[in-house]
Amino acid sequence: MTTLQESAAPVAPARPVARRWLRVPKGIGALPIGVWIVLFFILPFGLVVWYSFGYKPDMYTTHSNDVLSFDRYGEAASPAFFAIFGRTLKIAVVGTLLCLVIAFPMAYWMAVKLAPKWRGIVLALVLIPYWTNFLVRTIGWQISLSPDGFVSSALQSVHIIDSPLEVLYTSGAVQLGVVYNYLPLMILPLYVALERLDPKLLEASRDLGGTAWTTFWQVTVPLTASGATAGLLLVFVPLMGDYITPTVLGGAKGSMVGQMVAGQFQSAQNWALGSAMAVLLMIAVFGTSAIVGGLLRLVGRITTLATSLTLTTKEPR
Amino acid sequence: MSTPTARRRRIHPIDGLLTVWGLLGLAFLFFPIMVMVAFSFNTGRTLQAFEGFGIQPFVDALSNPAITNSVTVSLITATGVAIVATVLGTGAGIALARRSGWWAPGLLVLLGLVMVTPEIVSAISLLPWFVTLGVDWGLSGFNIGQVRLIIANSLFSSAVVTFIVRARMAGMNESLEEAAADLYASPFRRFVDITLPLIRPAVISGALLSFTLSLDNTVVSSFVSVAGSTPWPVYIFASLKSSLRPEIAAMSTLMLVLTLIVLGIVVLILRRDPGGSGSGVAGLAGTMAGR
Repeated sequence: MTTLQESAAPVAPARPVARRWLRVPKGIGALPIGVWIVLFFILPFGLVVWYSFGYKPDMYTTHSNDVLSFDRYGEAASPAFFAIFGRTLKIAVVGTLLCLVIAFPMAYWMAVKLAPKWRGIVLALVLIPYWTNFLVRTIGWQISLSPDGFVSSALQSVHIIDSPLEVLYTSGAVQLGVVYNYLPLMILPLYVALERLDPKLLEASRDLGGTAWTTFWQVTVPLTASGATAGLLLVFVPLMGDYITPTVLGGAKGSMVGQMVAGQFQSAQNWALGSAMAVLLMIAVFGTSAIVGGLLRLVGRITTLATSLTLTTKEPR
Repeated sequence: MSTPTARRRRIHPIDGLLTVWGLLGLAFLFFPIMVMVAFSFNTGRTLQAFEGFGIQPFVDALSNPAITNSVTVSLITATGVAIVATVLGTGAGIALARRSGWWAPGLLVLLGLVMVTPEIVSAISLLPWFVTLGVDWGLSGFNIGQVRLIIANSLFSSAVVTFIVRARMAGMNESLEEAAADLYASPFRRFVDITLPLIRPAVISGALLSFTLSLDNTVVSSFVSVAGSTPWPVYIFASLKSSLRPEIAAMSTLMLVLTLIVLGIVVLILRRDPGGSGSGVAGLAGTMAGR
């Protein structure tokens, strides 16, 4: 079923094997950014990993590495950490799935249903919130959700609720905030995938007797799976480490791992413990992403297989 | 292409539902921004309690030195980041598209990691690193707040510029560069006279996007900034702990207008670009989605 594979990649024209002007070392232009990333991304994280094996010697020192141990990991993996980690994971998983559920119909509407002249405008409207200040947008929700805020009084005056709104500083407010903040990151890759979907494939599916439902599940969904996977990753990973949304909307009842890590570096000044927590966070984030990515790939393979099997059995007719 | 039009004329209940869903989604995305803009006209003492309508918050914001200083720090940082990210990203983007070699997959993985690593992890990694470089190793340049801010914010932006330039190069015919080479243009002349003019839209939009990205960065900036050079989002974040005043919303509205102007320019540049990937915004979205 080659037609159901990824949209055909442009075939690169055969490149001349040798060029006489090839005097500059190959790829020299990429060297500065490579050095930059190693210097200000890889080495700093390496230092964090190194600190995570150390300890905090006294009140006035942030870290020391003269005795190395895994003790900070033991300390980091405390019941309090797991409680907050569990909440973070729950908020992140529920938030990512809610984003997918909200974003897919939106992206579908934008890419398939909307007249082409409106598409650019609506896409710009989705991009604007993404490019405005994350913190300022979150404060907008803080104002709106506050018990004596305008939403609360409006809902009370029409008797939808009888007492002031009690959402702010709970994990519910954080859940709403993260879905809001990361929604554009899910819409964009889905939109790109749906926009590239060749209408001819949908027509072909109809012509071959597929209903709207089977066309959607057997053509549209498999072909946009890569966009959905990108969206899931783009939302889930930063969401797991979100620090601003829970700080603005969460209070004590809605705190997340990002704040715990930040707290060790700021108020507690325990860089060793904070580093161990950060390493655990990275392992958890990329571990979960790898597992989910692997599962999605597996499901994708099974779907493709099932589709091709159904199609081959129907072919003889 | 006539099929979608024909389908739209028949009013289908699912299409109606999709339209309602899409419009509600847009309203949801704009709701808190509208709230902040509305509350920037609040003449009350605190941001949350709306008392009266007026432009006093804007006057207060512009006459508050703490606020104007922080905005200045942010603007300098954003300009510096735009320069650094454009230089690094353009070089890498061209190299990835034209001179890809054994290092290319590795670099792509690194760039991907830079883009998806939770911000808090980058932030807490850079703080001890700057302290090590600046204090322990005596490289005093790394103790300057502005330097730290520009370096810290440039990583993500460089990755963004790289992908934008790479996409532009990939969609471009190599024959012009080859012609220049055949006519004995030196690699430098070829780059300045041929490659750079061709990818100018991508470079400019990458620079402007880096500018807006670092203008809004809060997490990394709040960890690496030093007293005396507090950027604007960090100023807001700090005031969150005491009390928010309407001036903050007023200045945020002004910054929103600045961001919108910059984004508008980006869209215009991409749209006028004949070799670009179709409509400006779509190209932008495609680039941001990592294609």
